[in-house]
Amino acid sequence: MAFRPSRKTSRPQPEQKNGTEKRRFFLAYPLERLRAWWDDRKENPLSWLEKSRNRLVYLGMGFLFLYGGVAIKALFATILAPMAPLPNQIGSSIPEIPHPDPRAMAGNGFVLPNIRRASIMDRNGQPLALSLPVVQVYANPMEIIEPEDVAKKLRTILPTLNVAETVRRLKQKKQFVYLARNIAPVDELAINNLGIPGLYFENGEQRHYPLGNVAAQILGSVDIDNKGIAGVEKFFNQRLMQDHTPLRLSIDARVQAAVRDELNEAKNLFRAIGASAILMDVHTGEILAMVSLPDYDANNFAHAADDARFNRAVTGMYEPGSTFKLQTAAMALQLKVAHPWDQFSTTPIHVGRFTISDLKTDHFAPWLALPSVMAYSSNPASAHIALDVGRERQHDWLKNMGFLDRVPVELPEAGRPLVPSIKNWGETTVMTVGFGHGVAESPLAIVRGTACTGNGGYLVTPTLLAREHLNDDVVMAEDQKGPHLISTENSNLLRRILRLVVTKGIGKKAESPGYLVGGKTGTAEKIGAHGGYLKHVNITAFTGMFPMNDPKYALYVMLDAPQGTAETHGWTTAGWIAAPTFSRIVTRTAPMLGLFPLDAARAQQLDDQLALPLTPSVPPGVRHPLGPGNDPGAVTVNRLAARHGAHHTH
Amino acid sequence: MALADRSNSSQKAQWWRSLDRVSLSCVGILIALGYILMLAASPAVAHRIGASRNMFILKQVVFLALAGSVVIVTSRLSPRMIGRIAVMGGVVALGATFLTLVHGMEIKGARRWIALPLMSVQPSEFLKPCFAVVTGLLLSLRHTLTLANGWRFPGRLVACGVYVVIAALLQAQPDIGMLSVISMVFITQLFIDGLPIIIFGMLVTAAMGAFGVAYLVFDHVHSRVQRFLHPDVGDHYQIDTSMRAFGNGGLLGRGPGEGRVKDLLPDAHADFVFSVAGEEYGFVMCLFIIAVFTVLVFSTLNRLLEEKNPYVILSAGGLVTGFGLQAFVNMGSSLHLIPTKGMTLPFISYGGSSALSVALTIGMALALTRHRMESGLFTPSPSSAETAPRLTRSFHKDQHQ
Repeated sequence: MAFRPSRKTSRPQPEQKNGTEKRRFFLAYPLERLRAWWDDRKENPLSWLEKSRNRLVYLGMGFLFLYGGVAIKALFATILAPMAPLPNQIGSSIPEIPHPDPRAMAGNGFVLPNIRRASIMDRNGQPLALSLPVVQVYANPMEIIEPEDVAKKLRTILPTLNVAETVRRLKQKKQFVYLARNIAPVDELAINNLGIPGLYFENGEQRHYPLGNVAAQILGSVDIDNKGIAGVEKFFNQRLMQDHTPLRLSIDARVQAAVRDELNEAKNLFRAIGASAILMDVHTGEILAMVSLPDYDANNFAHAADDARFNRAVTGMYEPGSTFKLQTAAMALQLKVAHPWDQFSTTPIHVGRFTISDLKTDHFAPWLALPSVMAYSSNPASAHIALDVGRERQHDWLKNMGFLDRVPVELPEAGRPLVPSIKNWGETTVMTVGFGHGVAESPLAIVRGTACTGNGGYLVTPTLLAREHLNDDVVMAEDQKGPHLISTENSNLLRRILRLVVTKGIGKKAESPGYLVGGKTGTAEKIGAHGGYLKHVNITAFTGMFPMNDPKYALYVMLDAPQGTAETHGWTTAGWIAAPTFSRIVTRTAPMLGLFPLDAARAQQLDDQLALPLTPSVPPGVRHPLGPGNDPGAVTVNRLAARHGAHHTH
Repeated sequence: MALADRSNSSQKAQWWRSLDRVSLSCVGILIALGYILMLAASPAVAHRIGASRNMFILKQVVFLALAGSVVIVTSRLSPRMIGRIAVMGGVVALGATFLTLVHGMEIKGARRWIALPLMSVQPSEFLKPCFAVVTGLLLSLRHTLTLANGWRFPGRLVACGVYVVIAALLQAQPDIGMLSVISMVFITQLFIDGLPIIIFGMLVTAAMGAFGVAYLVFDHVHSRVQRFLHPDVGDHYQIDTSMRAFGNGGLLGRGPGEGRVKDLLPDAHADFVFSVAGEEYGFVMCLFIIAVFTVLVFSTLNRLLEEKNPYVILSAGGLVTGFGLQAFVNMGSSLHLIPTKGMTLPFISYGGSSALSVALTIGMALALTRHRMESGLFTPSPSSAETAPRLTRSFHKDQHQ
């Protein structure tokens, strides 16, 4: 340290020579003095003692620096920039006096004081989930005088209390032990009246689901800290904790219960392993009922089986089967690839090891017009329609219809569909997707697509929240409607086709007299554990709407792996299983929704207006209708078949 | 005062006259503060660990009384005796420190303690003052001792050797805090010894490098430095609570017994006793404590400026540096000035090993800085009165025991 100045003397010297007179004056003198000191030091080196004394002075300066730093930091910490203690660090131990929440009072639902989590109700105000005040009793064992006496006294009020365990806890060397959880406020008062020092109460709340199994998967549940862990409770967790007005869902508890009831009956009748049904307003996307079976008591979420917690309506992904032909028909019509009079080949198509064909028991004409393809549900014909639409346009259509993404709905469980990526979307995929295989969609996605075909062509966003309707007839303002994907004319045509499926096609068992139902069956073979399709184990579904002259509601019914009965003659296809269930649900719930069966004459009159021939005649002026001799898909099919043949010669 | 009377030639009176009475007063003040703050800080801690309310206080009364006696008794010894005690004590403490690696109690991941019937002892606490004196002795021997081949005694080399042994032991425990204090004391002693400034600079750089290595090797060092550098990440409960205690205190404090945050401080009676002082007695008390330590350090350094014996300068300089640094580390870490390092505030924090160790430190420093009769300019040099060679001989004797 001592010789450091010498460097300074040698360094600035050249600078000095170049510097101005003034500058030289200021710098030169001290530097010269330093230099003189340094020269002197070189001639007379310091003795050890002198040196060590110098250094003791430096040491003292070092300590001055350190302690000065501490003093300055202490000044900042205490006066200049003090860190305020947390309220709980200096707060008193007197509990806060509860005061009613005016916002909660303003709500028109079932509201209790001191409840932090808002209740959930259905569209009619029926409570679906609500919190009730409960009290936890805890003790500070350090303050307890006679544990045995305390436990005995508590037992008189809480008959289920385990005295031995309570005494053990009270004798622990701790400052906090729980004695009883979730006791009623009345018991709290009684315990308080015992006047035992060292006992304390902690206010809490417990979630209850008064309707039990009804809408259990939709509501979800909360954990012990009142935090939503599934369903709407999880999705709207923040909303429920912040806004104390009840959350109004689009669900109609009566309809939900009725749908569940009917579906459960069908599930038991056909010994299905699971079932799902969704009833949706086709104009607003409001879900009035969404059932997944098996279900569970929502109050007992913790002990429910995984299979019961699983919401098949949004998380379950199933191959849609023939219900997807509705999309194939819709895209072909909208893109003007096909017209009602165009005919399509039903000859089986060979692709690799597989053959696209219809059931052997079906004896279709080799060529079917579009309405017949839908009414009788021909797989090869649908594959041909899809081929005619083409890969790009099919993919785009499904993307626009939301079939390639998670369905937007207020449930954290909503899953992603299982679809091939665009680079794996080959000709085979085009054909199989044409009749609903090779993709797996949630029931909610199917019902959304169905609603789009019948509501004039608008893609709605499914919602579990009750919407404010303009009025009962025109339910959505124009700007509130979703994207218009299907023209009104094509939507009208699709409605007639869907009605035709029920009047003349394989969906006859769905007929609900007076409600003019229409829809599409769908049977998909289930995929087994090893990846292959299981014969005779089906997902049977029926997706439809009612009334078809002016659809108001879309209904989807699905039964997973049903078994045939005598009435179905052993059949496990959708026409025999899902269609009659659909009919029972419609006839039971429609009156609740304000729809009453039309008298036979009026129904017949509307039916006549909706009627569509199975094989419409080609209108004059159309030069080249699709059909025998004009089949663009044949090229692809023949090419694939040829490759298949070549493969076999080896 | 009777003891100050120059005509009083009793040993006691001579001791009193020659003593650094300013430092001794400072020790008295610190012990008094230790009692007061222990009354404030320990009941909450005792309550938390389920001990009797007064356990810490009663134990500390005994410890501090013992510490006071150790200061007085040690300060009456002659420098030569101090040297002997330091060498013997150093050997014992070194052995005991080595034993901790084999038989030590493990507390919070480190093996630093040996369990004795009434208390657990941390031998490295006693190693610190002994090492300072031994280093001073070895370094000063360069001036007085010549080896048989005519070379001067290689004091620096031997001292470095001793240091390396101790450093290896401490990093094995691991006790990085103690190691860094001992290292800083050692470097300071080399500095006073007139180590060329370039080598000194290199040593400081090496020490920083060593700290960097410790940062990379030891997880707890890493996490503490990380938490110091990034106030937003990790667990800052301790230091936050400490800072809130200071903030709650303000200029004059909340008043005796009125502290609230102190009840939540994890180590209020030991590592964070300074925060308790800050909360109950405010900035004024903090400044006063800092001032007492400053006066104590400066009074000792001031005496050393008049001292001629290199052994005394180096040893006492090392002792007071260790003492002052320990106080700085404690206050600095409770104020979030440096990363948290559990080190006690001398005489104020609770702890038996610590109290006795600092008492030994200050007692030795007081003994060394006492005014001694020294040969004047015209005194004929009595060959038998030479201190250093005698000391050397005894040193060798001790070594061969």
